[in-house]
Amino acid sequence: MSTVSWITARGLFGRRRFLMLLPLPAVLVLLAVLCRSLGVDPGEWASPVLVGLGLAVVLPVVALIVGTGVLGAEIDDGTVVHILTKPLPRWQIVLPKLAVAAGVSAVTVAVPLYVAGVLADSVRLGLALAAASALGALAYSALFLALSLVTRRPVLLGLVYVLIWEGLLGNFVSGTRVLSIQQWVIALADRMAPTALLSTTVSVPVAVVLIALVSVGFTVLAIDRLRSFSVAGETS
Amino acid sequence: MPEPTGVIHDIGYQRYTGPRLGRRHVFGALYGHGLRTVFGLGRSAKAKIFPWLVVGIVTVVAAGVTAVRSQLGQVVMTYAQFADAMSWLVIFFVAVAAPELVSRDLRSGVLPLYFSRPLPRDDYALAKLLSLVSAIWLLLGGPQLVMFLGAAFTTPDGLRGTWNELLDLLPGLLYAGLWAVVFAAIGLLVASLTGKRAFAAGGIVAVFLMTTPVVGVLSILPSRAVNELAYLASPSTLVGGVGTWALGDLLVPADQGGGIPIGSFGPVYAIVAVLLVSACTALLLLRYRKVAAR
Repeated sequence: MSTVSWITARGLFGRRRFLMLLPLPAVLVLLAVLCRSLGVDPGEWASPVLVGLGLAVVLPVVALIVGTGVLGAEIDDGTVVHILTKPLPRWQIVLPKLAVAAGVSAVTVAVPLYVAGVLADSVRLGLALAAASALGALAYSALFLALSLVTRRPVLLGLVYVLIWEGLLGNFVSGTRVLSIQQWVIALADRMAPTALLSTTVSVPVAVVLIALVSVGFTVLAIDRLRSFSVAGETS
Repeated sequence: MPEPTGVIHDIGYQRYTGPRLGRRHVFGALYGHGLRTVFGLGRSAKAKIFPWLVVGIVTVVAAGVTAVRSQLGQVVMTYAQFADAMSWLVIFFVAVAAPELVSRDLRSGVLPLYFSRPLPRDDYALAKLLSLVSAIWLLLGGPQLVMFLGAAFTTPDGLRGTWNELLDLLPGLLYAGLWAVVFAAIGLLVASLTGKRAFAAGGIVAVFLMTTPVVGVLSILPSRAVNELAYLASPSTLVGGVGTWALGDLLVPADQGGGIPIGSFGPVYAIVAVLLVSACTALLLLRYRKVAAR
């Protein structure tokens, strides 16, 4: 474990505000257990819990808070200078931070989704959801990490993507779903464990290619942006 | 111990001798400044991007709805339904505005400067809350006014049609006020917990989005009472429930399903909404007692 990833992990876990992330997965598990124990048909509750809460809210929001937090918080504080002045290649700064962000988001999201998937259908669905959401966490983290280097307001821009692009347009204009990480994750999970509970219009090969493209592309962009990064004061 | 020999020299600074404005004026100035801050007025172009993006989208939607109505004679959505349809944008707007109002002051540590004026702790929080409420109300009310003007100028019934349209608009504006109060109280409370705008925005969105699927789950549980009370779980459906109870047919025409199925629990919704808003406001005031004591 490199020093950069160690610092990043400490920056994430060292504050009390990390506890803010815990209610989201907890609610997910709680609702799944509640529905299961009351004997509601999984066909009815799986969609709002797994997709509506898990993949559409918990995954992007956790990835947004963590992904913009690993580098964006340091840029805000100005402490990023300490890392930038060390004789490190830029990829050795971006990759460990991405690894920590993706790892933390993946664990935070995949575990409750696994539990909910098992309660909804089978262990296979649970594993499929966990694996797909881990891949999704990687793609989201790469996107939000690159955003925090491209703009000074990464969280708001990330919210525009999550709320307006995926949430609002994804519901009304089906064409935008091809470019939605959420739909790719659903497609992958559905492919790994075919059930009637998940459905999407995006085909699996497209999802695989695009998710890889987004993960790699935005990482490369982040490394490139960090090469010519200028430290400025807080925006007005 | 010798007597202190230091003196304070008068080096000729002029004292302020003009009128000193009191508490009301401080409150008014803070409120006006808050309202301008939310929309980025008097600040750089960067600060205007996100608020005016939301304003632009809602105005375009309202103009589109008005155009469809005047051309095809078909009512796409009533004034109150417009507020419901824009709920995601309202959440985004709160996530933009609330951290801008309170988190910046917390982070830059200027609160002692505010509280060194004749400004009680509660006034600061209330002025900020009031400006956020007004901003959200303007965000929802402005497009409704656009829809009203479009309908009033194209109505075939002359003055009578305009009057009927106005009677439809007023409940819509009232409903928008309800939205504004509930969302501002929750959003500002969350934002006041952290000085980092990024975390405040994330927290606000998490709180609002997390509650929506809870409603979806509770409304399919095998108990009628739970189903009818399910809409209490999320702020947007809570507002919808209160609206359905208080405004009834004015909110959603009966032929379109007649609002949210809350059964006979309408008063419960109203009480919960009042309790929620007062609890959030009380917590906000409590929070500022603590911050101010530091």
